[in-house]
Amino acid sequence: MRERECGPDCTETLLEVEAYLDGEVDPELAARITDHLSGCSPCLDRAEFRKHLKELVATRCIEKDVPEALRDRIRAIIADA
Amino acid sequence: MAQPAAEPDDPRLRERFERDVLPLLPSLYGAAMRMTRNRSDAEDLIQETYLRAYRGFGGFQEGTNLKAWLYRILTNSYINTYRKKQREPQIVDGPEDIDEWYLYDRLGGRSVEDSAETAVLDTIPDQAVKEAVESLPERFRLPVLLADVEGFSYKEIAEIMDTPIGTVMSRLHRGRKALEKALWETAKERGFVDA
Repeated sequence: MRERECGPDCTETLLEVEAYLDGEVDPELAARITDHLSGCSPCLDRAEFRKHLKELVATRCIEKDVPEALRDRIRAIIADA
Repeated sequence: MAQPAAEPDDPRLRERFERDVLPLLPSLYGAAMRMTRNRSDAEDLIQETYLRAYRGFGGFQEGTNLKAWLYRILTNSYINTYRKKQREPQIVDGPEDIDEWYLYDRLGGRSVEDSAETAVLDTIPDQAVKEAVESLPERFRLPVLLADVEGFSYKEIAEIMDTPIGTVMSRLHRGRKALEKALWETAKERGFVDA
């Protein structure tokens, strides 16, 4: 990755990128960050990394199979009512 | 286990429960696994959650946030029943001591390619990611799970955990940093990175 001088836009972006990726910044700031990321590859690389990390947690922590015995226990709760 | 008759005698309520709440079982079970860190407790926790949800379903207002309502029941059941008997994992450094770009900085510089850091993440197996998440202390683990796995907003997490939103944001941030460190340790131990 090429080195470059970190300006005020980079500082703001890196500070807010977590909330930005969570969809928790106001639209004005979000637009400013989106705009900055489109022209700054070091910041974009970091933002992509964070985004990927979020996706990693989301996709790897899923339990693909619910045990059949547990499904039976849940069905019993409804059937007993 | 003896189960007293649940509230919703109304067949329409029962139908709605089956239609809306049962499909959330895989996602709730996954969260329960990451909370309790073992299958037997996770199954008991889910049973208790569904029992409470079924009994309280008559009071749930249709059209409001069903998923958040269920996760609140799950979280409360976990805190009240299971937390006491579990030992909290201990981490040596508080997340405060972890650098802002901990994992990025460590994974970077290993390759001249751009985005090499991101590619390394994909080589970490599911089980190692789960273990890294489970190694986080509960106050950090829950917000990370709720935000990243379940996609809840800060406001929803605050409601689910009955915690001020500022606390949620701070714990989420610190939890993610701690997770980066845990992933790094795991990747190192398992030889996915040379360190």
